[in-house]
Amino acid sequence: MTYADWLREDRLPHIYCAGCGNGTVINCTLNALDRMGWKKEETIFVSGIGCSSRAPGYIVTDSLHTTHGRALAFATGIKMANPALHVVVFTGDGDLAAIGGNHFIHACRRNIDLTVVCMNNQIYGMTGGQGSPTTPRGALSTTTPYGSQEPAFDLCELASAAGANFVSRWTSYHVKELTRAVHTGFETPGFSFIEALVQCPTNYGRRNKFRNVMDQIEYFKTHGILLQKVKRLREEGKPIPDDAIVLGDFVQRNRAAMGVRR
Amino acid sequence: MRLVIDERRCKGCNLCTMVCPYRIFKPGTKPNARGIVVPELDRPERCANCRLQALYGRTLCGMCQMICPDQAIRWEEEKPGEATKVAIEF
Ligand SMILES: Cc1ncc(C[n+]2csc(CCOP(=O)(O)OP(=O)(O)O)c2C)c(N)n1
Ligand code: SF4
Ligand code: SF4
Ligand code: SF4
Ligand SMILES: [Mg+2]
Repeated sequence: MTYADWLREDRLPHIYCAGCGNGTVINCTLNALDRMGWKKEETIFVSGIGCSSRAPGYIVTDSLHTTHGRALAFATGIKMANPALHVVVFTGDGDLAAIGGNHFIHACRRNIDLTVVCMNNQIYGMTGGQGSPTTPRGALSTTTPYGSQEPAFDLCELASAAGANFVSRWTSYHVKELTRAVHTGFETPGFSFIEALVQCPTNYGRRNKFRNVMDQIEYFKTHGILLQKVKRLREEGKPIPDDAIVLGDFVQRNRAAMGVRR
Repeated sequence: MRLVIDERRCKGCNLCTMVCPYRIFKPGTKPNARGIVVPELDRPERCANCRLQALYGRTLCGMCQMICPDQAIRWEEEKPGEATKVAIEF
């Protein structure tokens, strides 16, 4: 099998805008899934609401497209009712960290055996570009027309502090690393959180000096900095650039987990 | 193996032109029937996966296919007896 066998060919092309990074994250997740050798009948995708949350609709397995922010609540229910299922969650930054923020921290705390892939475009894409909890300081959106004044959430630090067993961040440029991270997430018992920074050319890019899709990918490429390097710079007392995107595996541990198949 | 872009899926974002180490993808010039400017292929027979997939039994490189947000890039098996071109670039 290849990743293409997991796609619902009759549903393609998908609704995403030209160059939307969500499509790349679907590729990486399905490639990782393909390596696991799981059966279609025992794998289930769950999502909330948003552009990112439409992803399960393009995958052949059973899926649940639930209410805004509640993907993790539904996923918890599935996993606790039938731990034999492999439950994968697709979510957006708004879905996960704004309306769904409490479900997120408690799913991490409970360390439920789920793999959560967050397509973080740093904006509410579907509803026309309102600022989200991950919109960087200074970025323009329809609700922050003079630039966001709020500090943003670091989703990986949040998941690590709240207790997830595996936490990793990559971008839609780093396709091989992202695939490996999702694969590690699938293999790790307990809560695995993979944040994929993605471009939203329609609602984020064009308001924030990324005139075409390639500009934002170039930005991910040039501003990505490995966690190991950040740690080294910190030890040496050297400055870390403000706009650096820290990439890598934040945590990999073995806390007591819920919903793990015995 | 032959590299193909599925014109029914491609939305012309040109991300494939950024990642290929051989620069096989070139931004297109003319819109197709759907109004999309699909990239053009410059000597696709140079692609590592076209040449070596059969030998290794797995996808090699594959960067273009992985990054393509529209699942529009794939490789097709040549028909029996079809002429194939091979080009190796170091
Ligand atoms: C209860 C509820 N509140 C608000 C909305 C409107 N709404 C739909 S999608 C969305 C934001 C989605 O943002 P995100 O999760 O980041 O997904 P993206 O579209 O950026 O991928 C909002 C606020 C809704 N559908 N339901
Ligand atoms: S609005 Fe943004 S996130 Fe939604 S499909 Fe378009 S580019 Fe993707
Ligand atoms: S597989 Fe690699 S070498 Fe072949 S066309 Fe794609 S990016 Fe280029
Ligand atoms: S990356 Fe895919 S959708 Fe974008 S131009 Fe290339 S083939 Fe078309
Ligand atoms: Mg979003």
